[in-house]
Amino acid sequence: MAEIVLKDLSIEFGAFKAVDKVNLTVKNGEFVVYLGPSGCGKTTTLRCIAGLVQATSGDVLFDGQRVNDLTASERNIAMVFQFVSLYPHLNIRENIIFPLKARGIPRAEIARKLDWVTGIFNLGDELKRYPSALPPGARQKVALARAVIRNPAVLLLDEPLSAIDEQFREEMRWELGHLQRELGVTTIYVTHDQREAMSLADRIVLMSDGRIVQVGEPDRIFLEPENVFAGQFIGSPSMNLIDLTPVDGGLRLGGSNVTLTPASNLIPEWAVASRRKLKLGVRPLNVHLVEPGSDPTAFPLAVDDVFSVGRERFFMFSIDGVPYQGVDKRKTTGGAANAVHFVPDGLLFFDAETGLRVTGDAA
Amino acid sequence: MSTQSHTARQAELKRQSSGRLMIFGFLSPTLAILLFMVAYPIFSLVYYSFFNFSALRQTTMKPIGLRNYEFLLSDPQLWERFVFTGKFVFICVTLQMLIGIFVGYQLQKNFKGRDIVFTALMMPMMLSPVVVGFLWRYMLNSEWGIVNFLLYSVGLPKVDWLGQANAALWAAAAADTWMWTPFIILLATAAFRGIPETIYEAAEVDGASPTYKFFRITLPMAAPVLFIALILRLIDSFKQYDLFVALTGGGPGTATETVSFAVAKTAFSYFYTGEASALAVILLVIIIGLSMILVRHLQKLGERY
Amino acid sequence: MSPSRTTTFDLVSRWLIFGLLAVYTLYNIGPVFWLVLSSFKSRMDLFAMPPKLFFTPDFSGYQSVFGVGAAANSASSVGVFDSLVNSIIVSVSGTTLAVAFGTLAGYVCSRFNFIGKGDFMFFVLSTRMLPPVAVLVFYHLMFARLGLADTRFGLTLVSIFANVGLATWIMKGFFDGVPKEVEQIAIVNGYTRMYAFTRLVLPMVKGGIAATAGFCFIFAWNEFAFASILTTTQAKTLPVKISAASGATGLEWTQICAAGVVLIIPVLIFFYLIRKHLLMGMTFGVLGRR
Repeated sequence: MAEIVLKDLSIEFGAFKAVDKVNLTVKNGEFVVYLGPSGCGKTTTLRCIAGLVQATSGDVLFDGQRVNDLTASERNIAMVFQFVSLYPHLNIRENIIFPLKARGIPRAEIARKLDWVTGIFNLGDELKRYPSALPPGARQKVALARAVIRNPAVLLLDEPLSAIDEQFREEMRWELGHLQRELGVTTIYVTHDQREAMSLADRIVLMSDGRIVQVGEPDRIFLEPENVFAGQFIGSPSMNLIDLTPVDGGLRLGGSNVTLTPASNLIPEWAVASRRKLKLGVRPLNVHLVEPGSDPTAFPLAVDDVFSVGRERFFMFSIDGVPYQGVDKRKTTGGAANAVHFVPDGLLFFDAETGLRVTGDAA
Repeated sequence: MSTQSHTARQAELKRQSSGRLMIFGFLSPTLAILLFMVAYPIFSLVYYSFFNFSALRQTTMKPIGLRNYEFLLSDPQLWERFVFTGKFVFICVTLQMLIGIFVGYQLQKNFKGRDIVFTALMMPMMLSPVVVGFLWRYMLNSEWGIVNFLLYSVGLPKVDWLGQANAALWAAAAADTWMWTPFIILLATAAFRGIPETIYEAAEVDGASPTYKFFRITLPMAAPVLFIALILRLIDSFKQYDLFVALTGGGPGTATETVSFAVAKTAFSYFYTGEASALAVILLVIIIGLSMILVRHLQKLGERY
Repeated sequence: MSPSRTTTFDLVSRWLIFGLLAVYTLYNIGPVFWLVLSSFKSRMDLFAMPPKLFFTPDFSGYQSVFGVGAAANSASSVGVFDSLVNSIIVSVSGTTLAVAFGTLAGYVCSRFNFIGKGDFMFFVLSTRMLPPVAVLVFYHLMFARLGLADTRFGLTLVSIFANVGLATWIMKGFFDGVPKEVEQIAIVNGYTRMYAFTRLVLPMVKGGIAATAGFCFIFAWNEFAFASILTTTQAKTLPVKISAASGATGLEWTQICAAGVVLIIPVLIFFYLIRKHLLMGMTFGVLGRR
């Protein structure tokens, strides 16, 4: 078990700054998920913590001790890679015990540990088989077993589930979370899949362009994104983002002729009072298409399309040709469909220039 | 319905027959030349091997059953040749594999000028074996050869490389190793570079030392390709002939006569054609056995890559 | 690049590796250098003790190889230059036909399943493994009877047989790299299989054919065993000719070295041209397919 601290960590490849002055503390036993689009530096950070990539500047500390100069094998970490990295010439049993054998652990100890992990991962039947004979999901399970067999202080996972079938992924995700809590091992998990991040993480570290955008519990990042990027990256379908222009007594919605006012549409007073250009962030689940006349706070907008996904009905509307999405809450699908309602609690406001979220407290 | 399926079947038949025509037509030139140049000679060899027969007197052919084989297999000279060939093969293949794997492992890393170094190292492989033989004969000359000059200038005694049986064996092995180590380097480098980087990273994380990685990851994973290289070298050095013609001429005495060399000598110096045929058949059996191992592994490898 | 500290052990082993590599490089490059150097030496300089690194270049070796100057007519049978011509004719025609046959056979082996395909493939490859002297015992008789002995045509025949197996395997490897859909689409569109082969597939393996030709040429060009037994005077190739280059004072080393250099030049050129496919050719089309 270990606490990991990243201090002003920068990693450069030539002129390219993959990671730019990152600071982070991962608490002992915590499950932290690095989330971000590809190329944002999350995997590079993970590989640096592992000792596979050298930091250009800044420090990596394990329990207060600087580990920059330790090789991966000296750091007491274990890692599961995105693409399967089992040793193809060794059978499952030999794969799992490889880290113990490489460290010259006595045979009896190896046998005991092997029993322990085969029990956890239910791999008893597969031990004699070779990696190529297993489906990708089972291979990652083996990789995980190989990672935890020597009780590493830190478990590093680099998109371990991305190469696995959808169905099996859910199961593995659940097992992984369960296992991590049971072992209590400090875990850093890299993914670009926000659903994985939301369901697994104690805290999410959201990265973009080599910098940390926001760190926080999954709910907090979802409900209180610090900027437009965080708001749009998390949540599916993606958050609608509409320009707001201050006009007399309200805010005009994009290029439409709808003006939102505190009185009629329940938008906060401060947003109108600040009289600056804003961007409205509203998640589709907070945009409702309602029966005309049923909701006094609704306003008319051009609706392009209504479609069903399973039992839920969604609708598309557009402002200035930009498409947006919402949920169709009407009981029937016939008749005029143009009354749109924004749930007041679900409205987020961002500064149009900086992209940072603004709240009533600040204004 | 039925007419449709009928025409479909006809089309299928037509396609099949055109496929057959193509198979036959495309294979026949190769097959013809190989039957004429390989199958026919080999059958004839087996046939002649049962006769007391000389190419010089083609009218007298006396069937003698297995006597040629009996004579050969009980001839201590032939065993000496097998022993010499065996020693030669063993030394060559061992040296070439060891050096080739070592150099290949160093060359797999990317460094500046890698392509140039690589191409330069492949040069010996491009030479004609006769040229190689003469070149080494020239360098190993006991009086004015560069090798003895270099030995002498660092204070070592001169060696009569081609005048002593043992030295000549090592001289031939040095020449063959010089020529063919690049081939092992080529294959070994390819095999090593074919191992994905993540495998090494996983091993690094798993706490494997460089030595442990090399013996537990690198070598076993490159083994299939290295095995092919080994068999190829085994076959080629076993049938080595050209090099000895140019380098030692089989000498001193008959000390460096390989089995191939003995076949040539029996057939074209003594003109014991029947006996030479029997010896050639023995040589062929060994080579074909080795080739079968090779082909099996080539096919396995072909499926993997 | 992973973090690393340099220990004394690392330093020692690094220098050791470097030293061993240097020794190997010397062993590898040295003889080639010495060959080229010696090809420009006069007889006096060749036997000089200590060996000379600097000397007045002498071109008599090259003159005799290319049949110019006084050295042209010194040999008793064919001149060295004539043997160079023989070498070119035999290896070029042998290569051309071997590649043509091998391309056809390789295509069939890549695309069709037929009875005895495995045996055919083995037979074809085994011809490459064949010890030349074994079949030579019979060729010696056969060529004499058919009037093929000491003719370029006879040698060309040998050259085809010796390379067609390799050509078949390498070309099969290249054809394996062309998706089967290429022909399927053509056939669906009403073209014949033959059309698909000649107009679609062949152009796609142009590079492969060139590489295969390069390989076959190198082997045909360097071939010695067959040519040395099956030629006596007229059809001698350059490798055979140099093995007999003895004069009044023993072997004509200058000539041998010059011929060696001349022999290696076309090989170097081909080698450079096919460098990408080196692996493919050396492993019978199994490795290095792209």
